[in-house]
Parts: sequence; structure tokens; C-alpha cells
Amino acid sequence: MSKVLMKGNEAMALAAIKAGVEAFYGYPITPQNELPEYMSKHMAEHDRVFVQSESEVAAINMVYGAAGAGARVMTSSSSPGIALKQEGISYIAGAELPAVIINVMRGGPGLGGIQPSQGDYKQITRGGGNGDYYLYSLAPESLQEAVDLIKEAFDIADYFRNPVMIAVDGLIGQMMEPVDFDHPVPKWDLPPKTWAADGNRKNGREKNIINSLYLDPAVLEQHNLKLKAKYDEMKRDHQRYEMINMESADIVIVAFGSTARIARTAVEILADNGIRCGIIRPIAIFPFPTNAFDEIPDHVKDILVVEMNTGQMVDDVRLADKCRRNIHFYGRVGGIVPEAEEIVEQVMTIVGGDN
Amino acid sequence: MKRITILAGHYGSGKSEISVNLALANQIDYIVDLDIINPYFRSRALGELFEERGIHLVESTIKGMLGSDLPYVSGEAAVPFVNKKLTAIYDLGGTENGGRVLIQFKDRITDRENIDLFYVVNLYRPETDNKDKIIRAIRALECEAQLPVTGLINNTNLMQHTTEAIVMEGQAVLLEVGKELDLPIVYTVIEETHHFPGPFAGETIILSRIVAEKWL
Repeated sequence: MSKVLMKGNEAMALAAIKAGVEAFYGYPITPQNELPEYMSKHMAEHDRVFVQSESEVAAINMVYGAAGAGARVMTSSSSPGIALKQEGISYIAGAELPAVIINVMRGGPGLGGIQPSQGDYKQITRGGGNGDYYLYSLAPESLQEAVDLIKEAFDIADYFRNPVMIAVDGLIGQMMEPVDFDHPVPKWDLPPKTWAADGNRKNGREKNIINSLYLDPAVLEQHNLKLKAKYDEMKRDHQRYEMINMESADIVIVAFGSTARIARTAVEILADNGIRCGIIRPIAIFPFPTNAFDEIPDHVKDILVVEMNTGQMVDDVRLADKCRRNIHFYGRVGGIVPEAEEIVEQVMTIVGGDN
Repeated sequence: MKRITILAGHYGSGKSEISVNLALANQIDYIVDLDIINPYFRSRALGELFEERGIHLVESTIKGMLGSDLPYVSGEAAVPFVNKKLTAIYDLGGTENGGRVLIQFKDRITDRENIDLFYVVNLYRPETDNKDKIIRAIRALECEAQLPVTGLINNTNLMQHTTEAIVMEGQAVLLEVGKELDLPIVYTVIEETHHFPGPFAGETIILSRIVAEKWL
């Protein structure tokens, strides 16, 4: 059997194990509990580390420590828990350490609700904690894509020595789909972790120090510029997106994750009604796929952004589109998932308004 | 069907969907959601559907608190065990721990001969992908629930990628499980879009996806 039927959270956990995760630290929160539960059962079978910590703050600091020691390490949580982890995430980015963080988003702000949301878009794509840093952030739309991206995420984190965020919503965490875990993913060319504080000094190397504190402003400035160069490289060379139906499109939807999935259904319904609608689907939400907007046909006058939040991605779309088109927005919040028919209606209104 | 049918199985085995389909097909009196492990797949729409059909739904949530993250078992969940005029389906939470919730009804279960506890298996779920794992899971469930499993349900599928061969693969393994534990396959589940001719072991449930549709 090359395919098995998996629940999202479970599939993401197994993908990490397949990618060689050596340690997992987490704290329970709905709707991602099956992920640490799966890890609690299966990490030991692979002779790897699982710790249910006393809090999210503890979990992310354990990630910080394990990453500093050179381990492949991961944590997962959902929106309020990810908010708690922000201090540690900033330290990990500041100390230039690789780690994979999964955020199975739920409604906010505060404790919000437990149903699906994309309400952490701004937090995810702007870094989230203090200081100048970003997370390479991937937003899969299916379980197969989530599995593939998680397998690759550990390589990406190692390559950039920077945390990678996998941003999904409760829908992806909870849904069931067939998945092939042997589906090949790109392998990154990774140098050995000579920077790791792994206690191995038999070769006579200098002490490796893991740190994010630079009291000399001139040194910190150089450090900040070094980090910036990484984020510039991500933006220049590592945008990821899918263009759907674009050549024939008269109007374009921008949507990521499960919302993009629903948009696909909307596009099919629209096609049956004679309306040609394309989709830009950001696969990485940081770096934002600015290049995609240069590939939109010239005659397209309208872009509809669809999200499960109140329009957090709209600014990025405006900047990427450089004021070439009208930007519209449709969103559902509070844990309510938009239906394809609602998106169809929005597109119909926009298209109709042009006539 | 016996007066009370309890469905158990690993999470993602398809218990809830089968419970809902059986409830609607057999016009039972009570459907009791005892899944206090994962409070996610609930929907107001499903409640309305049951009300329309005259089936009383006992939810695993405090009334009006659909989004609540608290495990909750209503006192009403005991009613079908006590009132022997009622027919009911109980939907347990995933994994063997899901059975523990039944222990509280132990003193009220006085007519065991009228109660079935069925174990739902999808061979394509990695936690129940061979005979030994399935047998271990059934034994663990029986310990937790303090009730014997009385039948197996073959729900082996890969959703839209299901073939008749996949269903038969599940059936072959479940027949072996049944031989070892002396249990029949009581139902085979076939999604309505698949039109497999069969025949399959036990009765065939032609399944429509009601929970998934109402939730999404």
C-alpha cells in the first residue's frame, strides 16, 4: 500500500518522523492535539525524544536548546499557543538556529475559538516576536502537500539556519485524506552543522556559543544585516506559488491553504457559468509570491482576496500588484469556513459590476 | 439491529459517519455522541437534521456551547440504557480510551443481550493496518469499556481512491480477526458513489457522507 488514510495532524507528525526529526517538544491545545499524541506514541519507537512540557514557553525553549545542540527539532501548537512561543521563536531566529514550528490555526484573538481560522497571517509573515527577523512560512492546502512540505521544511530550516513555520488551519489538521509518505521531495544541499554546541570538541575546534545577545551596537548591526541577507535571498530565490487557470482568466482570486481549496471549487462553478477565474495560490506566505502578480494577464482588472480572517493578506496583495488592479476582499471569521458558493457570489458581483 | 448499538474504533475509522447513516436508515430513537476525546466534528446542521427526522441527539457538549473545548457527558446519555423501550446508537471517541466513558453506565446496563458493541476498522489507517494491531486494539477497548465487542465493521477505504479490491483486502484481514476472536463481520461499508457489486461479508451499508458535508 503506497497510500494510507490519515488525519492531518497525524500525517504531519509522521512526515516529521520521516524527515528525521530527533526531538519534539509540545503542549496540548485543540485543534492540533493528535500531533503531539502521535509523537508521544511513536517517537519512542524510533528511539527519539518526546517531551510534553509544562507550557508552550517551556516547549519552545527546549526547541531552542535542542536546535543549538544540532538536533532536528520540532514543536507544534495552535494560535494562542504559538503566540506564547513568540519570545523563544525570536531567540531561535536571533541565534540562527533551524527548527520547524507547526501552527494549526484557530479563531482569535485571545483564546478565540477552536474552529479553523487563518487569523495569524500577519503574525506569521512579519516574524511574530521582537526584532528584525522572518520565518520561512509554508501554507499547504492538502495533506499530501503538508507532508511533502514538512519533509522539506527541515532541510530549508537547516539551509537558512532559521525557523520554518508550517501554517495550516484547523480544517487541515482535522481532515482525512489519502497520503503517500514516499512521495519524493527536493533535497537541499546542506553543509555540516559545524556551529552546533554539541559538546564534540575532540577535533580541537573553538567553543561554539549559541546566543542572541549582542551588546555592541556595531556588532549587532552586522548581525542584523547578516540576517537580512538571508531574508533577501528567500524573497529573491525562494518564492513558492501555484498559478491556476491563469492564461484564460478574466478575474483572479488570491487564497492560501484550505481557502485556496475552496476557491478551486468556486472556480469550477464559475466556469460552468461562463466566468473565467484564475487563482494565485501562495504556497509560501513568507516570502510572499510577488512574482506571481507580474504573470497575471494584462486585461485582468480585478483581484479578489479570500481568507479566513478580516483581510490580513490584502496589504501584501496590494504591494505585490503595485496598484495595477482593483483589490477586493471576502473573508469569514470566528471559525466559520467560507463555502464555494459564497466566493462565487462575490466574483459574480465584481464581474457584474464591470458590465 | 439490537436495541442498542455502540460503535467504537480508532479515530478516523469512520465511526461517526457510520453512526449517523445507521441512525437515519433505522429510524432509531436516540443517537448519543460519546466522543469526548475530539470535540471538533460537531455541527448545528447535523442537530437540525436529526430533529427533522424525529431522532433525539445527545451531544457531547453543553447545550448551546457547540464550540466548547470541554469534555462533557450529558446525564441524558444514560436514558436509553434505563428506558428499555428506546432504541439507540452510541458513537464512542477514537482509540481504546474512548471506551472508558462507558464504565459509568455499568450499573445501568442490565440487558447486555440487547446491546451490541461493534468495532469499526479501516485497514488503510496505519494504527489498524494488520491483524495483530486490530486484535490488540479490540482487547484494549474491551478492558476500557468493560463490555465485550460483539461484531466487526469493515470500513476499509481510501476515500475517492477506494476500489473493490481494497474493500476485499480489509475483509480478508477482518475474517482472520473474526476467526481468532470468534466475531462476525456484521457490516461492510461502501460509499454510495462507488457502486461495487459485492457480495461482501455481513450486511452492506451504502454510506452517504453526511457528517463531513454538514461540518464543512
